[in-house]
Amino acid sequence: MRPFQFHCPSSAAEALQKHSRDQKTHYLGGGTNLIDLMKEDVERPDHLIEVADLPFKEITQTANGGLMLGATLNNNKTANHRLVRKNFPLLTMAMLSAATEQIRNMATNGGNLLQRTRCPYYFETSMPCNKREPGSGCGALNGANSKSAIFGWSESCVATHPSDMCVALAALNAKVHVEQADGSSRVIPFTEFHRLPGDQPEKDTNLETGELITGIELPKSEFPDHYYYYKVRERSSYAFALVSAAVGLQMQGNTIIKAGLALGKVAHKPWKLENVERFLEGKEASLSTFEAAAELAFEDAQPLSKNEYKIELGKKTLVQALVRAAARS
Amino acid sequence: METKTKTGIGNPISRLEGKLKVMGKAKYSSEFSFENLAFAQGIQSTIASGRITAIDTSEAEKQEGVLKIITYQNALELKGYNGRFESPSTKGISPSLQTPEIHFYGEYIGVVVAETFEQARYAANLIKVTYAEDQHKTNFEEHLDSVYKPDKANGNPADTSWGDLEAGLNQAAAKIDVTYNTPIEHHHPMELHNIIAVWEGDKVTAYASTQMVENAVTTIAETFQMPKENVRVITPYVGGGFGSKLQLREHATLGIMAAKMVDRPVQLTVTRHEMFTAIGFRQHNRQRMRLGADQDGNLTAVGHDTTSHTSFTEEFQETCGLMTRMLYKTPNSLVTHRLMKLNLPSPRWMRAPGEAPGSFALESAMDELAHELRMDPAELRIQNDTQVDPSNDKPFSSRQLVECIRIGAKKFDWKNKWNPKPGHTQKDNWMVGYGMSASSRAAPYLKSSAEVTLKRDGDAVTAVLKTDATDIGTGTYTILGQTVAETLNLDIKDVQVELGDSKFPVSPGSGGSWGAASFANGTREACLNAINNLKTLASTDEDLTVAELMKQAKLNELTATGTAAPTEEFDDYSVYSFGANFCEVWVDKDTGMVRLEHFVNVASAGKILNPKTAYGQIIGGITWGVGQALTEHSEVEPNHGNFITRSFADYHVPVNLDLGKIDVVFVPEEDYIANPMGVKGIGELGITSIAAAIGNAVFNATGRRVRDLPITPQKVITTPVTA
Repeated sequence: MRPFQFHCPSSAAEALQKHSRDQKTHYLGGGTNLIDLMKEDVERPDHLIEVADLPFKEITQTANGGLMLGATLNNNKTANHRLVRKNFPLLTMAMLSAATEQIRNMATNGGNLLQRTRCPYYFETSMPCNKREPGSGCGALNGANSKSAIFGWSESCVATHPSDMCVALAALNAKVHVEQADGSSRVIPFTEFHRLPGDQPEKDTNLETGELITGIELPKSEFPDHYYYYKVRERSSYAFALVSAAVGLQMQGNTIIKAGLALGKVAHKPWKLENVERFLEGKEASLSTFEAAAELAFEDAQPLSKNEYKIELGKKTLVQALVRAAARS
Repeated sequence: METKTKTGIGNPISRLEGKLKVMGKAKYSSEFSFENLAFAQGIQSTIASGRITAIDTSEAEKQEGVLKIITYQNALELKGYNGRFESPSTKGISPSLQTPEIHFYGEYIGVVVAETFEQARYAANLIKVTYAEDQHKTNFEEHLDSVYKPDKANGNPADTSWGDLEAGLNQAAAKIDVTYNTPIEHHHPMELHNIIAVWEGDKVTAYASTQMVENAVTTIAETFQMPKENVRVITPYVGGGFGSKLQLREHATLGIMAAKMVDRPVQLTVTRHEMFTAIGFRQHNRQRMRLGADQDGNLTAVGHDTTSHTSFTEEFQETCGLMTRMLYKTPNSLVTHRLMKLNLPSPRWMRAPGEAPGSFALESAMDELAHELRMDPAELRIQNDTQVDPSNDKPFSSRQLVECIRIGAKKFDWKNKWNPKPGHTQKDNWMVGYGMSASSRAAPYLKSSAEVTLKRDGDAVTAVLKTDATDIGTGTYTILGQTVAETLNLDIKDVQVELGDSKFPVSPGSGGSWGAASFANGTREACLNAINNLKTLASTDEDLTVAELMKQAKLNELTATGTAAPTEEFDDYSVYSFGANFCEVWVDKDTGMVRLEHFVNVASAGKILNPKTAYGQIIGGITWGVGQALTEHSEVEPNHGNFITRSFADYHVPVNLDLGKIDVVFVPEEDYIANPMGVKGIGELGITSIAAAIGNAVFNATGRRVRDLPITPQKVITTPVTA
């Protein structure tokens, strides 16, 4: 492991001040991703600022009936919190499908948003990867890309975002609260938090360098009854998704009043399906409606050489998530 | 004297070392500590073919704590290396750093020795290597025209035949001609490969994670051209091997060399990442199966052609056709093995080499043939049973395959559950299917020695058993303790077992499912010799207890050794274990995810020394079989020729949730031709034919025949429905 300096600030303000405002400094949450990457020499920070103990460990109700999830609270406590389970069971379901009990006990909410791709070229330092080493090329583009993106990729990167939690957050229209070094703060809509690779795949998010996530805001609960997170994977537990779908529905009788939808592991960011949400609203829940929705969702999919199967698999995954969400009550 | 004690053989007692392991007190090879211990980190090639033209170590050398950087430019000359690599043998030499040539991606090209592990790792990352790269050959499909017939396939004939395969196929009422692929798989024992090398003058002690102590000694002695008596290997506990620890590999050579060059004890632990290239793997096997049968299901022809790959430095081929040669009677048989050379590491023995991939092909093909014949696949196996090995006309020492199938069918309720029409049962979104398979694995028995020391204190006698055998997680400590307790009529609490040290009497080590039979018989011989010696010294023929004998002989201590070895009679028979598997799988009709609901395994494997540890071994075997069937595969990067899936996040071994309910039944069997105790190995029987049973059940559930392992969601949904 490369030598680095370790900082333990006692406040967010101190953490923000300590940040060098360049790529050489990383905030450290639970360390379930960053430390692994450092051991493999993929990430090479000179400074680590521990933020896992900063006081963002609460879950509080917001004025408009939503929730604020503290950024340093761990994934298990968040997923199993009474108010999350009651009002945002889609988030609970997605979060508990991720990783293992032990990892979820360490992983923080803020860190979950910032986890890096599982593209094997990113992990293998002897391979080309524009995300790890800008300008070195994308090994997966014409290489082992069976698990790569089918939406929004570029010639310079075909990686996918691995999170389950973030897929649910995208479906739920969450917002990310961040603080800046000058003491100001801003709120980023979830769909604008992560970005597509374009020609800067080294940037996963639209966070400015040094900004610190303090919380994740969930708007007023809309899908407490009809929801489903369907994760398709190669083994029953402790595996990243091949493709996943987060579905929240608001129903009146059999009519869909409102829908919150997103797909996972198909793009560089959680893939929010805004047009499909609009398509579903006002329609009767039926298999044919859901199949039409899935066609619409994958209309713009662009497979690579080895991942065309993800389109068919993705459609079926979304249909099944919709069927199960509609049936649930 | 064969009175059974409650802790003698056949009792399901818990592992003697279990508590130590749970408490972290069982000392594995990497846990020995030495003053002045230095740490080594290997450096691996980042091209698949070519040669090193320059190595820049300047930056690495400047780093704090770095003691030595060793490459081919300054490595010790290995006197055992004569410019050639030997074909793999469990005691072959393991040369490293002798040339600048690169044969595969991830080959060890150097080692950094530093005061700490972290310092060595960091410095290794700073070394810059320049190569002259050749066009690599790593694509199996592209090099099919380069195949050749090897002299041997893992010690067996590459080709065998009798009768006329084509004629047998022509006269068949039903036949199939299909091709199966099993992917590259990696062993991945939980415990990483490791060595701590300690030199004292011209003597070296290696604390090494190895399955075979004596072979490890030989490998070190021959690689470094030193007398065997100057080499000691210590490995009291081994955290799994699965074949990868049969031979001490290049990492051990590097560790021993580094210790010599820095004149300090050196530890080298192979990282999980390096485990994908440093210690062997199971190669991609392509298997064409041609089967024919008459209307009644009698096999008229059995053809099994295997194509696989080896490296440019060594030749190794799994004998995928082994089981096909002996399992069923047929008048016409042709079994062949072919190889191509690729710029990948040398494949090695792994988890039932031969049978594991071979049984997938044979037992899937039998299921396909049964489907063609519209016959119960269990009955098709029974129909073609034989009590004479068709490959050599020798009788089987015992063969209860039919009994295994019948007992398993009853336990599983096969007759009522199984329905020949795929897609017969649906539960919600799941399609339910049933599958079965037959299995067999050779039950070898090798020469094995042990030493027992009896100590008497008044009327109390304790025994210490020593052999260089290893416990690789299988229960060796326990079954040998039970063997001593049984033979000497002691309670096991008065028996101490010491293993894994080359100063102890020589055993064949753990491998090839011969451990239990060989070690236990060697142990029994030592104990019987102790009793005989005591009787002589006590001048009696009476069957007294060892305490009485020692008292009568006025002895407080006695040591005896013993050696067991197969007699000539052993060679007059074919000696195998047999088994049958039945399973229920659920397949998601939309996503193709496969869930194993229930598995029944029936094994006929001689005397079961300890049902508890034996059960554990079968469950372990089934788990690997589930991995083979559903999750495990290593992908070769198409442009660079490396294994691109190099972590446990990408290489999926099964988790508990993948397993479902598992029932294991041991069929009673007395086979004293196999060996005096009638013990047969079960370590590898457990994985054999598991993948076929699961694949057959997936077909029964969906009508989709996935012939390429593993059966991933992607393959299920892209394989057409054919029935």
